Amino acid sequence: MDRRTFMTRITAAAGIAGFCSLPFAVARLLAPRVAEAAETRIPLPGALENHDKFIDACIGCGVCGEVCPPRCIRFHTNDGGKEANTPYINPVEKGCTLCGLCMEFCPTEALVVTPIREVKMGIAQIDRAACYPWVDRGVCGACLNICPLGTDAIRTEPGTFRPVIQTGCVGCGLCVEICPEPSLPIKIVDYSLSTKKYFEKIGEQPEVKSEPEQVEAPQATPAYQLKY
Amino acid sequence: MRTWQRHLNKLRWISLCLVFGMLVLLPFLHLYQTYIAAHAYDLLPANERQIYDSMEKLTAPFLSNPEKQLDAIKGTTWSGTLFGLKLSDPLAAVGQAAASMKVYWPFMLTVAIPILFTLVFGRFFCGWICPATFLYELNDNLGTLMRKAGLPITQRRLDGRLKYLVLGIGMVLSAAMGAVLLAAVYPPAIIGRELYYVIAIGGFGGGTLFFLMTLVFDLMVARRGFCRYLCPGGALYSLLGRYRLVRIQRDVANCNDCAKCNVVCQFGLDPLRDNFGQECNNCTACIAVCPTDALKFELKAKDAPNQGPGHLGHQYRKQQQKSEIAEAA
Repeated sequence: MDRRTFMTRITAAAGIAGFCSLPFAVARLLAPRVAEAAETRIPLPGALENHDKFIDACIGCGVCGEVCPPRCIRFHTNDGGKEANTPYINPVEKGCTLCGLCMEFCPTEALVVTPIREVKMGIAQIDRAACYPWVDRGVCGACLNICPLGTDAIRTEPGTFRPVIQTGCVGCGLCVEICPEPSLPIKIVDYSLSTKKYFEKIGEQPEVKSEPEQVEAPQATPAYQLKY
Repeated sequence: MRTWQRHLNKLRWISLCLVFGMLVLLPFLHLYQTYIAAHAYDLLPANERQIYDSMEKLTAPFLSNPEKQLDAIKGTTWSGTLFGLKLSDPLAAVGQAAASMKVYWPFMLTVAIPILFTLVFGRFFCGWICPATFLYELNDNLGTLMRKAGLPITQRRLDGRLKYLVLGIGMVLSAAMGAVLLAAVYPPAIIGRELYYVIAIGGFGGGTLFFLMTLVFDLMVARRGFCRYLCPGGALYSLLGRYRLVRIQRDVANCNDCAKCNVVCQFGLDPLRDNFGQECNNCTACIAVCPTDALKFELKAKDAPNQGPGHLGHQYRKQQQKSEIAEAA
């Protein structure tokens, strides 16, 4: 075989292989989304509440990711049909710091500029069967310390380190990122699935067994003085 | 004195390199910003520290507060911010309007400036800015080398109206699926996005495979075939630039029929017979190659009809001689 034939055949083989991979690529694009746990795919702050409308509005430019200071915004790449190139946040990897730059830079209506306390990314839920302070009165408070919204979003039960989520939680996911328990007892659930909507409708706060002024910041008390 | 316009091709290459270079640089600058925001230089691994140091060296002479000031230029050619001015590709507006079935005016305003420029200059985006054109032209040069080496490079001619079909079908499918599908088959958008994914996030998306396919298509089916026959953005720019005011025209008095312009035109147009049409992407390669400066930009809303053989060529001389003989008789 002379060199020309060899090169011709190599090129032809590469071409055929390339064209044969086209259906594969199309299939990957059209394939249904890999069933990820919903709490690792939370929407961006300020995103349109209707997920279909969000996908309509997003043009996949990736500017939100390019301005995100903690680089928490990820993109659907190969994992699913019409959501391709749209952004999401995986709080298990990295939570949102609610800086608001993505909303500011988004050219379309996909992300609307929203005050940080009105953002609706989801709401945190705590599994009381796995959280240290709830299980064995452990000393933790990591989620409380990291929360950017303070006692509006998360409080302790008075005199303990047991965290209780409040209606002010917007679901930024920093608590999920910081949670030291390997099974991640805290997770962000879909806003529409949460009880928060119910409380908003009836105009009440979820129960906390104390008045806010009695709640002490746990880190203010030296650990050796704690009595349960 | 030869015309200055023959240097425009070099200027165009500088522009293409700048745009592509920015698309590569911006993700690194973003990484640098995130490292600054984290306030943890000492904790960075060696490779990230290298990025930090090099970017610091690059930007330190110009910026006092890189974490904030680097937000001035963000995004890609698909959509981005340039010193507070949001600009988007017209195809993004069309695709988004089709997908959501309504017009969102703040977004439509971001495409006003590109559309205005397109109305005046035609497909200037394709020739002067598009990051895919940068790679496609290099790919075309590779094709020339391959042909010289004796490899079969096919140069078919398809129907140029195919791309309008792609645009139409893309819009219909976008509306049907409720997602901006056009973004997934538009090379400049793909390249900006994939460069960002690869550099700042890690891992290619699906678009890279598609773009490699278009490179193979250009080599094995038609020269610059994707831009000419399939690109939906090119279709939109062609339609917008149909009655452009600035267009390349042939000055028949200077033309010597050498046909270099036809050979060099990657879009397969026919400058020799005044056949530019709405496809011309103002790449100015024909102006640069013309030995007699017969091709120039002119202010005109319509192409001149076929002006016949150039006055410096032998065909025209023969015609003249014939008519002189006829007059004498």
